[in-house]
Amino acid sequence: MSDMLPRFTLHRRVEHLAVMVLFTILAVTGFPQKFADADWARWTVDVLGGVERTRWLHRMSGILFAVFTIVHVTVALVIGLTGRSWSIVPIRKDFTDAVQTLRYYLGLADQPARFDRYDYRQKFEYWGMVLGGGVMTATGFILYLPVLAARFLPGELIPAAKVAHSNEGLLAFLVVITWHIYNAHLSPDVFPFDPSIFTGKISARRLHHEHPLEYERMVGAAEHKP
Amino acid sequence: MIVQRLVSVAVVLLAAVAGAPAAPAASEEVDTCLGCHGDRNLSMTLPSGERLALFVDAQTFRRSVHGDRLGCVECHAGMRQVPHPAKPFRTARDVTLAYYEQCKGCHFDNFTKTLDSVHYQRVAKGDARAPVCSDCHTAHAVAKKNGSRSRISQTCARCHQPVFAAYAKSVHGRALLEEGNRDVPVCTDCHRSHDIGDPRTSRFHLATPELCGSCHTDEQVMEKYGLSTKVVSTYLGDFHGVTASLQRSGTASGERIAAVCTDCHGIHDITRVREPGSAVMRENLVKVCQRCHADATANFPAAWLGHYEPSWSKAPIVYGVTIFYWIFIPFVIGGLVLQIVLHLWRVVVNR
Repeated sequence: MSDMLPRFTLHRRVEHLAVMVLFTILAVTGFPQKFADADWARWTVDVLGGVERTRWLHRMSGILFAVFTIVHVTVALVIGLTGRSWSIVPIRKDFTDAVQTLRYYLGLADQPARFDRYDYRQKFEYWGMVLGGGVMTATGFILYLPVLAARFLPGELIPAAKVAHSNEGLLAFLVVITWHIYNAHLSPDVFPFDPSIFTGKISARRLHHEHPLEYERMVGAAEHKP
Repeated sequence: MIVQRLVSVAVVLLAAVAGAPAAPAASEEVDTCLGCHGDRNLSMTLPSGERLALFVDAQTFRRSVHGDRLGCVECHAGMRQVPHPAKPFRTARDVTLAYYEQCKGCHFDNFTKTLDSVHYQRVAKGDARAPVCSDCHTAHAVAKKNGSRSRISQTCARCHQPVFAAYAKSVHGRALLEEGNRDVPVCTDCHRSHDIGDPRTSRFHLATPELCGSCHTDEQVMEKYGLSTKVVSTYLGDFHGVTASLQRSGTASGERIAAVCTDCHGIHDITRVREPGSAVMRENLVKVCQRCHADATANFPAAWLGHYEPSWSKAPIVYGVTIFYWIFIPFVIGGLVLQIVLHLWRVVVNR
């Protein structure tokens, strides 16, 4: 069972790579603005060539990120509406899966939940990313063009957008360095590194272990009887 | 007649030297010099055609801070000889420039500071209008430090008249000049006295929040006037303050400098916020914003919370968003970390 099965299309792999790079640039150019009075913040801004250039980098990366998000959502809607796949949309089973898995962790159930193509943790992270990305994009544009924003919105929304942008960014960063790094690198299931989002492939053994419903659909339930 | 006077000076000097071989007592020496220089009409004509008054008022000098400790020749070295040796002075300014360096002998520290000042930069370039020690302190009437504070501003006003006129009308200037208030800043509190920097540099500009903050964050002083001490922290937390903090590091040359205190409140013409005609009053604020944000509309000034910290009564949306994340971030991250811990625990137990 060591043969590799396809998991991600080239489009998805490129998207992940782009988000990974853009997220890093956004964090590196964003946090010095959030923690402007810290020495490391000034040091970072100096290295980047001043606050104007730091902001330029931040805004260009943000615009690119927004473009990727819009393309992604549009493509996902097309795929969904043409009936090909809604596999990333949370369904009732995800909540029962979460409960089942937590019960298993606590020793109250014998088996963990059997997951489909995406488990509830992956869906949680994905939707956090998409919805958080929406908040970051909307508030980011308000901060980028405050004068324009104030033509249509109450002025107080500008400092509110700043608080939201700054905190949502912090939340996204914390989720990535705890949850994502754990699930993609540090978890004993994948340690040291889950390469499937880069190679597009996953071993049949892992797919069977982590996403049994998807595995059975792909390989065929008949072929795989214990 | 002049000969007679010279003879009498020589006699006095000789008597003084003979009587006190160590050094003539300062006051005796002063009396000697004032034998001639006490004459109100004593003057000479310089090659420039200016008449240089050589009169020194005995009372004025004695009341000065140097009156009981310095004699004349300590500054006017070489003048012990009578008749005095000729000096190559062409103008009255030459005389001043020749003697002000004498201050260095005792006041080395402050003298050295002036070498970094914007005034000295002009002196070094040969600008005859730029002040040296004696232009501010006077030569013979040097006052004690703890004199009237308004005198400091009036000293600067001798050259900086338009600035003084604006300051005199400001909230600080009026309190100083009309009430003798000792809390308000005079020129030197912001510009310093000896090492006066060029206020047009971005360095000076970006140091403004700290400068204003040195009084405006002082609880004891601000309490007297019912003023908030949060003005600097609320500024630094806002967009302009963040930009200014990051521009301070110095590599920001060529960037447009962020608005600091003085860009909204004015520099020398600072008024009370609630005073009629105040530029930073809510009703007038949009015009201030438009100085940089040309297209700013009536809604725009509400983006600035007026140095208030967000609260349910002052900025409920901002406060609400703050509270939301204050709860939401620990909730999400706590939940995720808990799940990681539970997963690891299960892995360990299964082994």
